[in-house]
Amino acid sequence: MQRSLIRKEVVPFLVMFGSLIVATFIIDALLHQFDLVWVGRYLGIPGAILILLSFFYSMRKRKLIGFGKPKTLLTLHETLTWLGSLMVLVHAGIHVYAILPWLALIAMLVNVISGMTGKYLLDRSRRFIAAKKEIYSSQGLAGDEIDRRLFWDATTFDLMKRWRAVHLPITLAFAVLGITHILSIFLFWQWK
Amino acid sequence: MKKSAITLVIAVNLAILVLLAIFMPQPMISPGRNIDAHAGFSSDCFACHTPFIGSSPEKCMACHKVAEIGLKTTKGEPIAGEKKNVAFHQELLEDDCVACHSDHKGVQAFRPISQFSHGLLRPALQEQCDSCHANPGDSLHRKIRGNCGLCHTQQGWSPATFDHDQYFRFDRHHETACETCHVDNDYAGYTCYGCHEHSRSKIREEHLEEGIRDYENCVECHRSGDEDEAERIWRSKRYGGDRMGPATGYGSRERGRRDGHDGEDDDD
Repeated sequence: MQRSLIRKEVVPFLVMFGSLIVATFIIDALLHQFDLVWVGRYLGIPGAILILLSFFYSMRKRKLIGFGKPKTLLTLHETLTWLGSLMVLVHAGIHVYAILPWLALIAMLVNVISGMTGKYLLDRSRRFIAAKKEIYSSQGLAGDEIDRRLFWDATTFDLMKRWRAVHLPITLAFAVLGITHILSIFLFWQWK
Repeated sequence: MKKSAITLVIAVNLAILVLLAIFMPQPMISPGRNIDAHAGFSSDCFACHTPFIGSSPEKCMACHKVAEIGLKTTKGEPIAGEKKNVAFHQELLEDDCVACHSDHKGVQAFRPISQFSHGLLRPALQEQCDSCHANPGDSLHRKIRGNCGLCHTQQGWSPATFDHDQYFRFDRHHETACETCHVDNDYAGYTCYGCHEHSRSKIREEHLEEGIRDYENCVECHRSGDEDEAERIWRSKRYGGDRMGPATGYGSRERGRRDGHDGEDDDD
């Protein structure tokens, strides 16, 4: 319990997010290896569709739909957004052609990180701090001393809470930028 | 900061970005600079793009007349000293410019010129390699005109697939120009007549002496200048072997009789 909140919770979370990036590099390398680079060009379509399908959870949460178990829909939301983000990341590759698609990609990544913050960090961190407080109390420490010792953990937790609050507005940003990118592609792309 | 305030800030920024995408398409959504010759179209996407369709050949051909490609500029001025082989554009099966060409430099990786395929050309032109390709001019090719397809494929000049040994092995008596045996650059056939002692009458005499009447397709037995080998092959054929030899001699006539001993002499 002496370990800090950053080491116990934030680092594993970063490792988990890193797996998304590593998976992107692996798939990208495989596509290059097998001369299937063109596949990446079209992966944005299934990626966007998977992300759209994940919105059933968001609609259920806001009572816009009445079917589906929230827990099941949440699991689906997490899985589909992870897979969809992976496809979009491979689709983006490391090609910098225009600003708009990259802004959409950054918005998506912020979205993914804030979503993962909600899932992996907040609840566990809340319990982690409460447990630490309990231990310090049982050791007979005064309230001021407990607050002093918990300062960095409390600050980290507060930052994570704010980060989590960004999830919905950033979803709006991702949606608008993504739709603008998709519209521009439909407008100009040579489909043949 | 309240969530509603954050949402408002983001919404304002998004509105600005969308407006930028509409009014400044080059940096925002274009996949790269236009090629220099098309720099004038940088602010007019629809000069080349048809909404929701892409860049149709008609848009390109409005300026680039197919009949004039490689001959005149888009302004109608004759092209002097054009070194590129671009005349095949007049012989394409279909006018599909973006199949090979890209404009925005960012997408050149997607549509490189190397996407050219000989399958895009009319079949008649596919046979005329030398209308675009120069003869390499080495000692072998200097003797040959046309008919490249007998040795080469359209996928690449090398490896060439032709193995002359499976037809006839050269030896010290047969190091000669291709035209000596392959008259008129016709490599689908050959003749041995007319070369030093291979006169028609002499060959006839030599073979009839041995009882061989079917002798027009020389390489059927003569796989090189080695006469003993020819005799071995003839004997093996005579006693039940299949006919051999892929080539057809010019002199071959009335190939109905195959054992070389039946029927009448057909060499009159």
